[in-house]
Amino acid sequence: MDLTSRETWTALHGVVFGALFLLAFAGGLAGLWSLRPEWVTVNGLQERMTRLKIGVTTMAVVAWVTVVTGTWIVYPWYRDPPPIPAGGKFTDLPPEVQEKFPRALLLSDPNTSDWHKFGMEWKEHVAWIAPIVATAVAFVVVYYGNQLIVDKRLRYTAMALFVVAFAAAGIAGLLGAFITKAAPLQ
Amino acid sequence: MATIRVSREGGQMIDEIEWKAEELDIVERPNGPAMAAIIAAGIGALILGILTTLNEASTDVHDFLEIDKDVGPLSGKTLFAVIGYLVAWAVLAPLLWRRSISWNTGLIITGLLLVGGFVGTFPKFFELFASE
Repeated sequence: MDLTSRETWTALHGVVFGALFLLAFAGGLAGLWSLRPEWVTVNGLQERMTRLKIGVTTMAVVAWVTVVTGTWIVYPWYRDPPPIPAGGKFTDLPPEVQEKFPRALLLSDPNTSDWHKFGMEWKEHVAWIAPIVATAVAFVVVYYGNQLIVDKRLRYTAMALFVVAFAAAGIAGLLGAFITKAAPLQ
Repeated sequence: MATIRVSREGGQMIDEIEWKAEELDIVERPNGPAMAAIIAAGIGALILGILTTLNEASTDVHDFLEIDKDVGPLSGKTLFAVIGYLVAWAVLAPLLWRRSISWNTGLIITGLLLVGGFVGTFPKFFELFASE
């Protein structure tokens, strides 16, 4: 039941922060969608607005934490070069050693190499669009506040960008889950 | 204003909730600050897409972007994209702070920038520019 440091960081990056991001997204989108004067009272709108501001700010912060930990902590372990002796090949290494180098392990087999060449190459880049766009949405919600209730274009713009941020994070998260299944960090 | 009456089957009244009309004052702000934030986000995404593609096309750019050896060129791509995003926001925000600009113009610009960012980071696209 022990987790290594690498497994712990991978779980924090993908599962803990990822789950928080999903929760914040679902709550934020529902909050923006239902922010209509004809549906709730003034007290209800005020209560929702406070929750919405906390939700979108959390989503933006979590998105930044996720990409920073992923890029600067987990990714270097993923791309660690294996200790291949001069004139040797990666596949000459014992299987238990190969498993410690996920990138090289994926690339060593034509059946799994696309998980790196396509999956990881897309994931590591597209993920960074999520916090950038989520921060813009958080600013709009915090700065405009109650104006979102009556300004439909502002609200729909925030919702559309919210979905863009989620799509970027969703692509990265899904590919990350598949890559981790194919070659987990140990 | 709304009134909600809750009664049991058979007609016995057990609760009644009445809402009174309420007022909420909202001061409308120009859309400039929102446009500055979302266009800057689009610029950040596009910079990421351009750097990702340039990194593939040129070994000089690849080496320049390798700010951290362990992270590789991803360190430079993401760092410069974030810096570009923040600089764009810092420049656009004061310019647009008290102004309203056309929603359509702002959204089309942002949409194009974001599409550019997504396309530039898509492997099947940037691999087209791979150097030998």
